[in-house]
Amino acid sequence: MQVSRWLGVALVAGAFAFAGCGDDEEEPAGGGGAESTPAQQAEQFPADSTLGKIQSKGEITIGVKFDVPPFGFQNPQTNEVEGFDVEMGKAVAEKLGVEPKFIEAISDNRIPFLQDGTADLILSTMTINEERVGQINFSDPYFIARGRVLVKEDSDITGVADLAGKNVCTALGSTYEANLKEQAPEAKLKLVDSYSECLELIQNGSVDAVSTDDVILTGMIIQDDTLKLVGEELTQEPYGAGIKKGETEMTEFVNGVFKELKDSGKWNELFDTWIGKYTGQQGEPPTITVEEAVELVKQN
Amino acid sequence: LIDVLTEYWPEFRSGFWVTVRLVVAAFAVAMVVGTLVAALRIAPSKWLQRLGGIYVEVFRNLPLLVLLFISFAGLRRSGVDINAWTAGIASLGLYTAAYVAEVLRSGVFSVGKGQIEASLSLGFTYAATLRRIVLPQAFRTVISPLGSLTIAMIKNSAIIGVSLLALGDLLKQARIVQARTFETNATFFWAAVGYLILTGLATLAVRALERRYAIRR
Repeated sequence: MQVSRWLGVALVAGAFAFAGCGDDEEEPAGGGGAESTPAQQAEQFPADSTLGKIQSKGEITIGVKFDVPPFGFQNPQTNEVEGFDVEMGKAVAEKLGVEPKFIEAISDNRIPFLQDGTADLILSTMTINEERVGQINFSDPYFIARGRVLVKEDSDITGVADLAGKNVCTALGSTYEANLKEQAPEAKLKLVDSYSECLELIQNGSVDAVSTDDVILTGMIIQDDTLKLVGEELTQEPYGAGIKKGETEMTEFVNGVFKELKDSGKWNELFDTWIGKYTGQQGEPPTITVEEAVELVKQN
Repeated sequence: LIDVLTEYWPEFRSGFWVTVRLVVAAFAVAMVVGTLVAALRIAPSKWLQRLGGIYVEVFRNLPLLVLLFISFAGLRRSGVDINAWTAGIASLGLYTAAYVAEVLRSGVFSVGKGQIEASLSLGFTYAATLRRIVLPQAFRTVISPLGSLTIAMIKNSAIIGVSLLALGDLLKQARIVQARTFETNATFFWAAVGYLILTGLATLAVRALERRYAIRR
């Protein structure tokens, strides 16, 4: 009896060590407010407006991905979230003269987060589409990603046409669920909560391909260089910042911040730092509006 | 409310059947393995008892979600080509089996020692004593706790749907429908109805068995 009890304890301890490998998602990664001290010249908004309330709180809660390099991911050394989306969020916070507080928003919960006030702003690789425009406000697109297919280096899949009968992973609640049903109706979809799970599934061989935005897939290749992108681009995915439905003032404010980033060349700088460095691509800031983005996505 | 169900009927239906298949298969695993482990635990050998004890301690003391991770991601990483179905059924079944074994053991112990001694002294073998004297009586006392375990297992099956296994069970399909429609309340209402149908059927089955084997007092 004694022996078996110790074995049980040891196994549970082992299980804890196992679980410890995952990232600590509870830890609110207070995104480097250090270098962005609240700007003195921040425009003050009326105390009863949404922006005014954020200013009097001194903090804006921004939902970002925690597992999607290079857009929003936790730096394992510092435990802080970093990435292109995070930089966009910091720019908005700085312009408001408040501290950014980053919380994790996965594809499935980010819209509810805005609706119930858990987050003031969502910057989590969110494609602007018609369905979502009915639920929340979007800023003008701040990035356009392209849908691609990721496979293992030795895979015989060369494009979306080869996905028939294969297991394909994408995130539950993402636009790829519908896209894949259309472009590869024979593919067996495995829908998971986060792209890090897709990475696990392709690495352990239980799916044959992962399909989502090229930049997210590039992030996976950064982590595991035995993976590769194949085929033509499936879709265009304009990313917008999500804001609660009806918050026109805040939407315009965020648009202003993004426009300034795009015009000043800061956008290109951020692109090079977070994306160009890995893909060798040149990036140009998108100039289309939300309506044009919806049309673009419809053509996918 | 009803629109969500009718419009997404294929999703709900397929999710319901996946859950049914998972639960039925896991139930079979749990009963077979649970009975074997219980037999080990009451076996006349100290070593066999210990073996059964280790099984119960391991599978009862690990969270189901951890078992799912080990049996799927863990085994696959170490080169075992296990699929999500096998991992899900095995995890849920083996986890529940530990509880089943404990219930069966306590059922056997509820039969008075005197009866066993009497049976052995009358020349019944150990196996015959177990089969003809102990188990029929033990069965009656374990029906109700086994029923509770089955209901718990049906509910635990939902963990499979949110785990890495990505099987399209009832909860998973409901979440897919929710992500498409944003009709959170209606979607999960129907998911709850689906689980209530299954747990309700289990409850009815337990009642019927209890009535059938009731001692007239």
